[in-house]
Amino acid sequence: MDKDLKLGIFLCDCGGTLSKDIDFSLIKTKLDKLPDVTFVNIGHGLCLKAAREAMQKDIKDKGIDRVVIAACSPEFCENDFMNVIQAAGLNPYLLSIANIREQCFWAHPDKEKAAQKAIAQIGMAISKARFLEPVEQAEAPVTKEVLVIGGGITGIQTAIELSNLNLKTTLIEKEAALGGKLNRLASLYPIQAIPQELLATKLKQLAERQNIDALTSAELIDISGEVGNFTARIKRGKKELERNFGAIIFTTGYDTKFSNQAYGFELSDIIITPSQLEPMLMSTSEVKEIPGRVCFILDVGDEHSRVSTISALRNALGVRQKFGSEVSILCRNLKVDSATLESFYRDCRSQGVLFIKFDKPPKISNEDGRIRIEVEDILMAGQPISLPCDLLVVEETSVPPRDSDVLSSALNIGLGPQGFYQENNVHLYPTLSNREGIFFAGNCHADLDMMRALTEASNVALNAYQLLSQGKVTVEAERVAIDPGKCRFCLTCIRACPHHAIRDVRVNHEKMVAQIVDLACQGCGICTVVCPAKAIKFKDWSDDQILAELELVEG
Amino acid sequence: MKVQKATSPNIIAFCCAQSAYQAADAAGFMRLSYPDNIRVIRVPCAGRIDVLHILKAFEKGVDGVLVLGCHEEACRHLLGNIRAKNRVQKAKSLLQEVGIDGRRVEMFTLAPNQGPRFATIASEMTERIKELDSMKPQG
Repeated sequence: MDKDLKLGIFLCDCGGTLSKDIDFSLIKTKLDKLPDVTFVNIGHGLCLKAAREAMQKDIKDKGIDRVVIAACSPEFCENDFMNVIQAAGLNPYLLSIANIREQCFWAHPDKEKAAQKAIAQIGMAISKARFLEPVEQAEAPVTKEVLVIGGGITGIQTAIELSNLNLKTTLIEKEAALGGKLNRLASLYPIQAIPQELLATKLKQLAERQNIDALTSAELIDISGEVGNFTARIKRGKKELERNFGAIIFTTGYDTKFSNQAYGFELSDIIITPSQLEPMLMSTSEVKEIPGRVCFILDVGDEHSRVSTISALRNALGVRQKFGSEVSILCRNLKVDSATLESFYRDCRSQGVLFIKFDKPPKISNEDGRIRIEVEDILMAGQPISLPCDLLVVEETSVPPRDSDVLSSALNIGLGPQGFYQENNVHLYPTLSNREGIFFAGNCHADLDMMRALTEASNVALNAYQLLSQGKVTVEAERVAIDPGKCRFCLTCIRACPHHAIRDVRVNHEKMVAQIVDLACQGCGICTVVCPAKAIKFKDWSDDQILAELELVEG
Repeated sequence: MKVQKATSPNIIAFCCAQSAYQAADAAGFMRLSYPDNIRVIRVPCAGRIDVLHILKAFEKGVDGVLVLGCHEEACRHLLGNIRAKNRVQKAKSLLQEVGIDGRRVEMFTLAPNQGPRFATIASEMTERIKELDSMKPQG
């Protein structure tokens, strides 16, 4: 702790709304008496430009070296005020904020008590301010190249978007041809195009771009390095190549699987999966036997996914149009939560597709080469229905692609409960992985329809652009830093780091120590706590600062 | 600086900036009233909270400690909240050993939009601490 500090306190009464019942000048007089407080100012809205300019002037004129702001939640104002004090020539980390709006005046109707709490909160912020340390900025170079893994429609679209943004892209696909499922689908929804034609257009676009390198029959073996400078080893036939990338995007999609456990029967000539049905719908040759009635069944095991709903509706309509068969869809409940899917469902109904909703799973039996389904229709008050049919199309569940568990453990990226990649936060950061510089798009991490997958492709391309476009990234240098003198290289922090941001380095050609990669660090502070030698210091959330806040100041 | 012994118990709430801190803000937006004895300390992740921080709080004379993090499987830093949960358990047993009721420290999980839940937790914890205080032998 520095001995002589010049604390500047800036109160904000939020345009006069907070000081309606409470005289802020009383708070000011109390604060004036505290040691080291050089300057206390009451502002009527520190978020306004004039107030900020005045604040910068005060910081410069009074020689303030620690700024305490009592205003709204730091969730809103922290970044702005960091910029303000940086413009005033002070390190942006020398800032401490007391939240006197949301967590004080807005929450407590008794204004006297709220004022007391506000003073206590400002006190906490002041005692934290005494332990603040400057964090310097540094520049880290990044490679302006992106690796896209998985050459399905999402991967192709991502590569095109990246190429539009002038980032050199390598697209790898483990199969011999690009396009993934588009090669095998009979129709598409919500985009109404013939899948193979759409694919051909996209592939043409892809081929026109100079800055896209598409590698088929190529598999990723390993990735080393950190954000900005990944090194990927790619196996292609017998050759192995090594390339550097700044960011990596997973668009590996999903595989489909029929799980007979839920159904209790095996597939046969007349019980098939959608992936067996679609080639029949696509084939131009004459079909020998036209099925009189085709049934689709959903929801026997788990609830059906968005992908299998759309697949059932598409194929039901496809069967209706191609064979003219009678078509029924049996389901527990149909969820139409994609854009225009409700109207697609209505289309299906108007073209004669029959929907039967059940509560108890239907009984399915084989009767002289035909299938008999016995089901109680809940829309008809549980009326038992006996439905013979010539072809039963069961539901396929989406499963993660076969090597995703290997990749995830090799790269230290998380998997969700179903084995798909786990995004950093489903709501706030849907395309970010837990590692900086590794992104997900499409069905490799969520159950998405095609529109959503393509939206994610452009989203993720912008994420990569934001990271790499300048060729360098400004980071906080040693915001969390390991003291090499104290480090015993026990590997605890390397194992605990959720973002794979700690690596091992050798210092002075002898001792091995752990070192934090500034660019990859996301500042959670877990390593600081787990380190048995207390060798890790988190500069803007140090133990000293947290403990200082515990010193409740007398109001 | 002295610890002020207020009439209502002093409670420190360590709040994860990703969730609980925003929930506390949400309680403010919704003008939900909760006891004003809660002092929030913002931390980047519940996993940043050490057993030491909890014990030091009691050393400074705090009556109760809340550790508020994200719901399980929703931690931005994967296992931060689970780590915090384990540390709270550890702190409870250490406190019991020195004769402080382990129920004075508790971990809860919330989402950033759960303002009402924050207010409920704050009120319930205050009640719990008051009850524990009344059970203490007088004098």
